[in-house]
Amino acid sequence: MEARVSAITTPRNETAPHRRTKSYGFSRRSLGVELTSHFGCTPGQLTAVRIPTSRGIPKPRNLTEQVDPEHVALIVKKEWKLSYVTPLYQFRHTQLQSYSKQLASFLVAEKQQGVAVEVGQELGFKVVFTAALGLAETEDDAETVLIQIQSKSAFAAEGETAKVVWSGWLSCVSGDVEYLKALPPDFTCLPLFGTSGAESLTTLVMSWFERTFDCYFGPLGINSTNLEWLAALWTGCHSDTNIRYLKLAWTVPAQPPLDVSYTVHPQDAWELWDSIRQESGLRDTVDIEEVNCFIRGLESHFFRHFRIYLSAGTLTKVATSLGSAHKDGKIRIASSDMMTSVLALLTECALLKMPI
Amino acid sequence: MDDSAKQVLRKIIRRIPSNKLQNILSKWEHLSKKQFRSLEFTQAKWLLCDNLLSLCEENDLSMKHVTELEMIYRIENPAQGSWNVCQLIDPSEEAVTVDSLTFKDSFKAHLKHLISHVSVKMKKHEDNAIWIRIAWGDNFTQPNHLNPTYVVHHLQTPYVFVSGLTAKHKPFLHQALIPSTHYGGLKDVHLSGRCLTALRDLLMRQYKQAFPVKHPRLLQEKSPVPSHPNIETEHAKHTEKRLQMAAEAFGEGILPKLETAVYKLETRFRENGMPGRREEPFRGVVKFSSSNLLESLKNCVSSGMASAPVTPLLSSITQKGRNYFVITDKGPGVSHTQGRKI
Amino acid sequence: MSLKPFNKLPELNTANVLLVENEERFQKKLADAIVLLENNVNVIVRLARSLPLPLENAESRPRIDLVVFIVHLNSEQSLLSAETSLKHLDSGYFLGKVCFLVTGARCGTLPYERLTSLKKMAATLNSPLLMTEDKTAEGVNTAAQRVLAVLRVAAGLVPMATGLYLSSLTRCTVPNDPDWQNQD
Repeated sequence: MEARVSAITTPRNETAPHRRTKSYGFSRRSLGVELTSHFGCTPGQLTAVRIPTSRGIPKPRNLTEQVDPEHVALIVKKEWKLSYVTPLYQFRHTQLQSYSKQLASFLVAEKQQGVAVEVGQELGFKVVFTAALGLAETEDDAETVLIQIQSKSAFAAEGETAKVVWSGWLSCVSGDVEYLKALPPDFTCLPLFGTSGAESLTTLVMSWFERTFDCYFGPLGINSTNLEWLAALWTGCHSDTNIRYLKLAWTVPAQPPLDVSYTVHPQDAWELWDSIRQESGLRDTVDIEEVNCFIRGLESHFFRHFRIYLSAGTLTKVATSLGSAHKDGKIRIASSDMMTSVLALLTECALLKMPI
Repeated sequence: MDDSAKQVLRKIIRRIPSNKLQNILSKWEHLSKKQFRSLEFTQAKWLLCDNLLSLCEENDLSMKHVTELEMIYRIENPAQGSWNVCQLIDPSEEAVTVDSLTFKDSFKAHLKHLISHVSVKMKKHEDNAIWIRIAWGDNFTQPNHLNPTYVVHHLQTPYVFVSGLTAKHKPFLHQALIPSTHYGGLKDVHLSGRCLTALRDLLMRQYKQAFPVKHPRLLQEKSPVPSHPNIETEHAKHTEKRLQMAAEAFGEGILPKLETAVYKLETRFRENGMPGRREEPFRGVVKFSSSNLLESLKNCVSSGMASAPVTPLLSSITQKGRNYFVITDKGPGVSHTQGRKI
Repeated sequence: MSLKPFNKLPELNTANVLLVENEERFQKKLADAIVLLENNVNVIVRLARSLPLPLENAESRPRIDLVVFIVHLNSEQSLLSAETSLKHLDSGYFLGKVCFLVTGARCGTLPYERLTSLKKMAATLNSPLLMTEDKTAEGVNTAAQRVLAVLRVAAGLVPMATGLYLSSLTRCTVPNDPDWQNQD
């Protein structure tokens, strides 16, 4: 994976873009030569983003050493709905205060126009943009931005804490370096957007961003391969933090649809994972082969009892006490230890959805 | 009308959907025709509730009448809560001759003997089922009508269906049921679900079953015949066989409506080509859920998503009438044990 | 016993196609569309779930001119079943008498690896890979037309064209990996 030809072209090039339309890759049943790298294509077929087939094991560390614990607390233990966003034009981390005011007045203006917002006695909204420094892993990553919308009640006394009605964050963790380097200078790439709160507020915030920074939002799902990665990474943490359970949920397309949930005892799950790791030689990195072996093992144990092919269904949800992920793009990170690795995986998913 | 009765009435009215309210209230028979007509059912529910409360005050109704209303609603809509099934065992000779009146008196007496403050209401339904509503108190407090327990028992059968029972009160209920029905004990059948009739049908095998036969015979559901003479199916026989096996395992036609099945696995992990062959069991819990579980499982088998023959773990749901299993290794194959006895 | 392409005599003005699909859903619609579309030639469609085919039918089964594997990308099982079925096909079929039909290739929520491994498989076997859309009537009709086009050639009903010739034009290609270029 060392020698890399630059695989990215962006519209910045004056020449006609190369067609790098194909995505091919490593298959556990591949009939041909096994490749160690894997390129995925963005939907516009003009950009190839590297998808790693092996990932480094996150070392347990205290995230609060590099990130403000208050910021971390804002992200953990909440369920976020994920979207992807294209690079933002002329977004400045130095102007967060001004953005706060602009968004607040935008929300109030929309409300006056009769756009449906929360019914209540809110006089107005107070918006807070904060930069959560320290989450970025490489120097090409832009710093994470946290957004909170607080409602101001008409009857609030002085000094009364405002109620947070909506929160969100934009993040880029370990983004594909070549992609980030190839962006034109005025663009900031924060492709991962997480929201928690009323849907109406989310659409308003998105439309403000679209107007101000000429970007585009879209829904982000987590496909079964990435869910399996998360399951394996979380299970691997059991030796340090008790994951308490490993729960996998599938939906089998019968009439009516059948939901199957398999909750494995954490110690047994860890021992299975550990034996797979031992067999392939303990390394610093985790291969997708090991992840596949782990999940197929669980599926075949299930098959031995029930004779139902789980591979005919779709993996919808993965959960441990460290967090949960749903294929519709919902993520919950319960512990700050694994936060960077999870965000890195999700950033990768978001980058793959870039329209060009 | 005291405050607690009002509170219970409000809760009941809130729970009953607006479209059913008129019907239930007309069956209640504690409002005069004039009062009933004075209620406007198109109003907002809270407004209607206030009007109803004032009418009840006029008629000087008490908690007793309010609980009747709840019972009427519950009997008509048994799918409100989830039901657990128990079975009476060791019948004595008098078990078959128990009649409803004797049972009612005996049950009430036994229960009141165990707990002083308890409110019991019993009603016989058309299909010979006795419905019992119990509001539990203890030695110091009045019965709590906000969380009652419902029990349904068909006299000529050993089955008892219970909904809304806490662990604290379970022994009392059992100790009242056993002597009044003249049985020797009560055990948990490990069957639960929302649809009372489905549970009953499953237990008493009142759904249409298919039995294994040597020659394929007319199944209710057949695989569709190809539409054009130029189209031929290679695996037609296999499809027929799969449909047959699915019907044998789960039944034909309309199947009883179960929602979940839970299997607690404690078998060893023995997959070929995989490391981790240990002697200790690989623990886990598998839960199947669906809007109609048996239909889903049957469809899995007939469409090939489950490979035939149907594993005994799944067919036990209908064969044994239960949906909670603990599976351990016993002997060469994978077998299952009976659930815990109470 | 594997399916052999040339162990039976062909029939006059007839083409036989075998549709193999694990889910047995799309093949029925496709079969209906195929027999309705073709007027000049007698097209027989045989539907199967997987290979090997049941032995009972071996006598009555005519010579199969084209085997079409239908793979649904939303199910891993679909792909696995197609792979195992391939083993039961005589190698003579891979000279232009096999075709792959894929549904769900546009769906962004599916793992990329399935389509890529299928493409690799098709490329290695020198067979065409056709993408289809199975939910609309139009999609089914288009798929039927394309299958018929390949079938006519494979059955020898198109003068001056053979299955092998067509397959060299239509086969699935897999691009070069930039890493490969650097590794020599």
